[in-house]
Amino acid sequence: MIAPRPFRFFADLWRRDRLTALGVATLLILLLLGVLGPYLPIGDATRLAVGPRLSPPSWRFPFGTDELGRSFLPRVVIGIRSTFLLSAAAVTMTASLGTLIGMVAGYYRGLADEVVARSADVLFSFPALLAGLLIAAAVGPGRITAISVIAIVALPLFVRIVRSVTLALTGRGFIVAAEVAGASTLRILGVHILPNIAGAVVVQFTYALSIGMIIESALSFLGLGVQPPDASLGSLLRQASVYLTFAPWLALTSGVVLSLAIMSVNLVGDAVRDALEPLNRRALT
Amino acid sequence: MRHLIYAASTLASGLGTMLGAAVLVFVALRFVPGGYADMLLGPFVTPAAREAIEKRYGLDQPVAAQFLHWLAAIAHGDFGVSMVTQKPVLDEFLRRAPVTLELAILALIMALLVGLPLGVVAGVAPANAKRSVAAARLVGAFGLSVPDFVLGTVLILVFSMWSLWLKVGGFVPFGEDPVLNLRTVLLPSAALALFGAALILRTTRDAVLRVMTEPFITAAVARGESPAIIVRRHVLRNAAIPVVTVITTYFGFLLGGAVVVEVLFSVPGIGLYTYNGLGNRDYAIVQTGVLLAACVFVAVNMLADMLYVLIDPRLAR
Repeated sequence: MIAPRPFRFFADLWRRDRLTALGVATLLILLLLGVLGPYLPIGDATRLAVGPRLSPPSWRFPFGTDELGRSFLPRVVIGIRSTFLLSAAAVTMTASLGTLIGMVAGYYRGLADEVVARSADVLFSFPALLAGLLIAAAVGPGRITAISVIAIVALPLFVRIVRSVTLALTGRGFIVAAEVAGASTLRILGVHILPNIAGAVVVQFTYALSIGMIIESALSFLGLGVQPPDASLGSLLRQASVYLTFAPWLALTSGVVLSLAIMSVNLVGDAVRDALEPLNRRALT
Repeated sequence: MRHLIYAASTLASGLGTMLGAAVLVFVALRFVPGGYADMLLGPFVTPAAREAIEKRYGLDQPVAAQFLHWLAAIAHGDFGVSMVTQKPVLDEFLRRAPVTLELAILALIMALLVGLPLGVVAGVAPANAKRSVAAARLVGAFGLSVPDFVLGTVLILVFSMWSLWLKVGGFVPFGEDPVLNLRTVLLPSAALALFGAALILRTTRDAVLRVMTEPFITAAVARGESPAIIVRRHVLRNAAIPVVTVITTYFGFLLGGAVVVEVLFSVPGIGLYTYNGLGNRDYAIVQTGVLLAACVFVAVNMLADMLYVLIDPRLAR
């Protein structure tokens, strides 16, 4: 019997590269948990006192219960959901904006390019969490702060890579040919340049996503990101660290799940990078 | 002469970046709800008192003039006073800077000790040594993925159960008792070092792998040079630039204050001070912390840019 295609793909991957296969599997499981979380029969994330307070893991409460007697497993699932959603949303927006800015700067060169490159340097000089403190001072803690900080950190990453690839492309024959043929700038950017920088953007995307998840969880850990009653993996760890020595399973489960989530993104990102940009063609900066 | 021009242009662009950072910090703080007068006097402020405050702090002037005044004050070392203690903010930062510096240096040393050798070994390993390459990849992915506050929490848990000579919290200044100081800062530095070790490992491995494919390596092998000499003379020198870049970037960010780790381990460095400044709504502290961190980062990178020319004189052209 021939196995269905996804399974055959996975078996092939497992044979060739176990680490990547494990990363893909973990990422898929976590994403499924995040998407299906609210509909899974694992208990209610918000109902108080379903069990004793701070009880250790058991069959009924696989991750134990928190200080309000809530089952911790559904709370971790909610946390996975918001950590992934928030970071992915922020990085997607930043990637689109950064790609556009980088392409325009690299294609037009001159003053616009100079301004863009310098601004990217300025944004790059802010350490993520200190920028988070400043933004939290300006607009208050919350999702907006988390998204802005991820954008500040990720924007220069996208602008720089897209700009440098576009700069290298603009002199090439097929671009000049398109210009001579009278193609509009929009067409040149969208049809001729964009497909050629897509690989670099995808590679940068996975890298930025893992950084975004670290930033989001760190901000929430400091109490500047996702606010209660909502939960992200970082804010769960923040609450759990209060009861670290009485109920270490709270900190350990949320910390391990968070690390696994970021690690699966990194492993998949490595594989994507190796596939799209072999080492001998990769820019080392 | 060529080197002088290179240094001058590096300096100019660095100063430009710092100015840009100052503009952003200034703009961000204009979004603080209520403005400075409300912040200072509370919600029940009379119009007369508000006007007096605005006049005193120059808030009635155009924004550009305010910015220039602020910039001029900073150039004279006046970063404002803390609203809580009424002391100059800069003094407080300078007092705490050695603590953050110590954390940063210890973390960098640990990261280098782990990252550099592993990266070189993983890079020069023959293509059929799959196991060592996979091990380096696993360590790299692990280090980039476990956030410093997760590692820090685990360290606190472990070392509060079994002390093992090290201490959790209870920071002691280096000048008071160097040994006790070391016992308290090793754990936070280790929490910071993991990410750096992974970053340095991966960059070194990639750079070395790339140099190994160059024809001059094949030539050196053909001349019969010993592997140790090939690695030292040809590989390391040519792989150095990206490694130096990533080390200085990492160190620059460490110097900016490791907010989470300092908060987690109660280490009284500039990160914790800035964080507490936000908690007390003491915005002069937040503003100074962010600006200083950005400027230190730019300064460290300027130094790195000048270092490149020493490593590879071709770059000055």
